[in-house]
Amino acid sequence: MKEDLMEIICCPLDKHDLDLEVTERDDGEILSGQLTCTECSETFPIEDGIPNLLPPDMRDEAPA
Amino acid sequence: MPSPDQSPDSDEPAHSRAAVRRTYEDIGDHFSKTREYAWPEVESFVDESGSAGTALDVGCGNGRHAELLAGVADRVVGLDASRALLQAATDRVGDSVALLQGDATRLPLAAGSVDLAVYVATLHHLPSQTARRASLNELARVLAPDARALVSAWSTAHDRFDADPDADAGFDTSVDWTLPGGETVPRFYHIYAPAEFERDVADSDLRLVSLELSSGNCYGVVEPEGKRT
Repeated sequence: MKEDLMEIICCPLDKHDLDLEVTERDDGEILSGQLTCTECSETFPIEDGIPNLLPPDMRDEAPA
Repeated sequence: MPSPDQSPDSDEPAHSRAAVRRTYEDIGDHFSKTREYAWPEVESFVDESGSAGTALDVGCGNGRHAELLAGVADRVVGLDASRALLQAATDRVGDSVALLQGDATRLPLAAGSVDLAVYVATLHHLPSQTARRASLNELARVLAPDARALVSAWSTAHDRFDADPDADAGFDTSVDWTLPGGETVPRFYHIYAPAEFERDVADSDLRLVSLELSSGNCYGVVEPEGKRT
């Protein structure tokens, strides 16, 4: 994802702003990192350049 | 033959949205290869809409309609619940579309941030009326006051179904997807009666601007209800 996407994305649960933490960046592209809701503190991973903003109950079951 | 397997109003059905998402994780790669071309109805809507700041495709699949939006909008967001489909979209639309994994009933986008949207062939995969209406309200929330969107769903008018298109309500069914090896994967569908489609939109925070039946689908052009004229 590009950083300017932060202007419009929000927490899917309470619609508050997200904080961005970048783990890996390539040019302007954020490849991996984490988004954290500034209100409810729920975290959302960025994997392979795509933020996973699925609510927790829609994600894969935790691996064994 | 598809047959109703639950009442349209039953809320937490055997199928959950998470299950629908997993289905497309399983078939996404093959499904995407069979969804090469944009639908003409979507093409017309996008052509007639003119230029936009931010455009959104809810249930973008492999990105075939997000690709159209990229021709008219400064920024395009493609959202899908399935990572497999988003992977296919990455290959197809590359940098021109910002891809997001998300749930249509709980959009991770700010209110009023979208100037043009398409929500095509996705609403019918949400397994309860509550979820379907929630997704329409979410679309209304993210649309800017002057924005328009195209919403489509499979309808009882489709010749695949032995159903009365004038009925008051549609039905739930399961439509198999056949993988290249012959394995079939069931997919949840709610087949909309046109009257019911109109009613779900009317009861949401969207206003129906026009409704068309084409190729067995309902196509509604909508705008947020609070639009200032």
